[in-house]
Amino acid sequence: MATHDTDVCIIGGGISSAMLAEKLAELKPGLQITVVEAGRAIDDVRNRGQYRQRAMEYGEHPWPGDYIEDQQGQGLISMTMAVGGLALHWGGACNRFSEEDLRLKSLYGLAADWPLEWKELEKYYCEAERRLNVSGDPSPYPQDARSEPYPQPATPLSYNLQTLKGWAEQSGLKWSPLPMARNLKPFGGRGSCCLFDTCGTVCPSGARYSPDFTFRQLAEPKKIALHDRTLVRRLVLDEKTDRIVSATGYHQDRPDDPTQYRAKLFVVASGYTWSAHLLLLSATARFPNGLANKAGMVGRYMNGHRFIQARAEIDEQTWPGQNMTHSLISREFFRCPTDKPFVRHDTRVWESSAGRDPRLRSPQGRLLVGDEVFEDWRSRTKGSSVRLRAYLDVHPSADSRLTLDPSKKNRYGDPMPKIEHRFDEATLARTAADETHVMSVFEKMAKASHGKIAGRNDGDYLDHPGGGCRMGTDPATSVVDSWGRTHDHENLFVVGAPTTPTGGCTNGTLTFVALTLRSAEEIARSVRV
Amino acid sequence: MKRRTLLHWITSAAATLPFLRVTLLAQPRDLTPESIDTLREVGATVLPASIGRDRANAAIENFIRWTKAYREGVPLEHGYGHPRLEKTAPSPVPGYVVQLAAIAKAAEAKGGRFATLDLETRRAILDEALTRGGVKNLPGRPTGQHVVSDMMAHYFRSSAANDECYRAEISRNVCRPIAITTKKPAPLGAQGGK
Repeated sequence: MATHDTDVCIIGGGISSAMLAEKLAELKPGLQITVVEAGRAIDDVRNRGQYRQRAMEYGEHPWPGDYIEDQQGQGLISMTMAVGGLALHWGGACNRFSEEDLRLKSLYGLAADWPLEWKELEKYYCEAERRLNVSGDPSPYPQDARSEPYPQPATPLSYNLQTLKGWAEQSGLKWSPLPMARNLKPFGGRGSCCLFDTCGTVCPSGARYSPDFTFRQLAEPKKIALHDRTLVRRLVLDEKTDRIVSATGYHQDRPDDPTQYRAKLFVVASGYTWSAHLLLLSATARFPNGLANKAGMVGRYMNGHRFIQARAEIDEQTWPGQNMTHSLISREFFRCPTDKPFVRHDTRVWESSAGRDPRLRSPQGRLLVGDEVFEDWRSRTKGSSVRLRAYLDVHPSADSRLTLDPSKKNRYGDPMPKIEHRFDEATLARTAADETHVMSVFEKMAKASHGKIAGRNDGDYLDHPGGGCRMGTDPATSVVDSWGRTHDHENLFVVGAPTTPTGGCTNGTLTFVALTLRSAEEIARSVRV
Repeated sequence: MKRRTLLHWITSAAATLPFLRVTLLAQPRDLTPESIDTLREVGATVLPASIGRDRANAAIENFIRWTKAYREGVPLEHGYGHPRLEKTAPSPVPGYVVQLAAIAKAAEAKGGRFATLDLETRRAILDEALTRGGVKNLPGRPTGQHVVSDMMAHYFRSSAANDECYRAEISRNVCRPIAITTKKPAPLGAQGGK
C-alpha cells in the first residue's frame, strides 16, 4: 500500500475545506496540508462560457464529470462530487443566522443551544464575508448589528427590485438587498459580475465565489497537496489509543492500490452527507457503531429548513429578465417574542416572469402563430409577477437520520447513505400555524398593490441541509465540541455543515464557513509543524 | 450460457450487425434539403412577421444551427433537491424530418406547398401536427417532441423575443454592466442596439 505523510489531512474538497486549507496555510506557513477529494478537479474556467451556453440551449449539465455515479444516496440534494463541491453551483447567498439560532433552548425551550456565543460567531462571520468578498448593505434591523462593514457595497438593485422594494415595504417589513459572494470588481483572482444571471448554474466570470479558485491558488504554489479522484473509504484507528493514524484512499484509476494517508490530525470536511457516512463506515471492534460515535449521535439530528414559495400578481410594472438571481430579504421574522407562538422565517422577493411567458395556445385552445404569440404575450405583461419565499425554522428529532443503506452499495461494496429527515414534536405541532403565518405575510404584501397570491408551492425537501455530527458540550448528546473536535478522538475534527445543531431560517453556507474558520484556529493550535 | 448457445448468438448478432449499421446510418444527422425548405415555410408562419424578414430568417437559421450542434447522451442538469442522472436523448433530427415531411404532405393534400395555403389552413395543419405529437404547451427550450413547437420555443424563449415582447432593451442573460439594470429598460432601439 502506498503511503502519503502529511501534517493535516482534510477529507473533502468543498467550500469548508477550501476555507480551512486557506486559513491553515496562512496561520501555519510550512504546515503540510493534504486535501483528498473523491471527485475530480474541473480546472477549466476558460470553457465555462461555453458550458453555460450549452446549459441554456440544450439543458446540458455545465460541470462535466462532477459526479460519481455509484457514490450517491437517498435524500441527497445534489449529485455533485467534485473539487469545489456544491459551492460550484451555489447561488452565492451569504445571509447570517441570528442570535436566536444559537439560543433556541434558552429562549424558547426548543431544540438545542449552540455551544458558542453569538459575539464569538459574529467575528467569524466578518472573516467569512471578507474571504468570500460578500457584497451587502447593513440590515435595517438594529438586532442585526455588525462589528465590521461588508467588504463590498451591496449588489445594486435592478430597476425591477427597486420597484418591488417599494411595493414590499408597504407591508411594514424592512428589506435589504440579498448579501452575495459576488465580485462587483475583480477580486481574489476572479472577475467581476457582468450579469450572466446564471449564478446557481455556472458563473463564467468567476464573480460568484466558488472554491475551485481557492484550491488552485493553494495547490499551484504547493501550499497544499490536492489529491482529487480519491475516495477515502475508512479512517484507521490506532490499535491502542483513540487517535486516528491514517485514512485509506482509493484513486479512481487504481482501485486495487489504496493509499494510506498518515497525518497528525484529520479533518472531515465532507459536507452534510459524506462526513457522517465516513465515520459510520469506519467502525472498528472498539467503535462498533462508527468512529466518534460512542454516544450513538453520528448521523442524527439531520437538519435543514422547510420552505414555502408563492407567486404574487401585483400592479407595479417590472420588466422580467433584469437580474433574476438577485433578491430582497427581510429579517423581520428572524426574531420571535418569547411570549408569542414560535415562528421564525426569512422572507424573500424576486422578480419573476411566471404566468407571463409566451404560450402556444390561447385560453380557448386556438393555436397561436406568428405575431399572435406576441399579442397574447403582451396582453399578460401588465403589472408584475413576484416570486416569494420563506425558509422556516424547523427542528430535527434525534431520529432525523443518516444511516447506511445495505441495499445500495458502491463499486467497493460500501453501503451508501440514506437520509430521512424527521421533525421534533414541537415542530410538527406548529406546522399548520407556521404555514398560516407565512401565507398571511405573503397575502398582506400582495394586498398592498391590489395584488393577490396566484399560486403556492411548498418545498418537498429540506434546503441547505446540515447536521449528522452536531456540536455540543455534552459528549452524550453531541459528536463534536464547538471547535469541531470529536469528543471521542483528540486528533479528529469535523467542520462545516454537519456540525450545526439546527438549520436556521436562511441560507446556511456563510454559517458553515464561519464555523469552519473558527475551527481552523483550534486545528492550527493543535498541530505542531 | 452454453458454449453452443453463445456461438449461435454471436453468429446471429454478426449477421444482423450490417443491417443495424445500415439502419443507423440511414437516420439523417442533419435536416435534409427538402425538410429545410418546409421548415423555412413553417417558420415564416409561426415566427412573427413584425421582427422583419431578415431576423425571422436568422431565427430559422439559428434553429437549424441548434439541430446541427445537438449532442446525444450528454448528462442533463442534475437538478437540486431531488437530483437524478438523465442524458440528452437521441438527435431529434430524424423525427423532425418525418414531421416536416408529414406537414408537406398534408399541405399537398390541401392543394399545394405549405407557404401557398391560406393562414387558417396552415394553422389547421400545424394544429393537427402538434396535437398528434402530443404537444400541449410551448416548451422552455426545444425538447425534440415536435419540430414546430421546438422552433417556436427556440425563438420565443430567447432574450431577443423577451425584448420584442416588452419592446424594451432588457437583454436577459446577456453579459452587461450591472449599472444598466438599475434603470428602467430603454425602449427597444433607443440605444441603437436593435
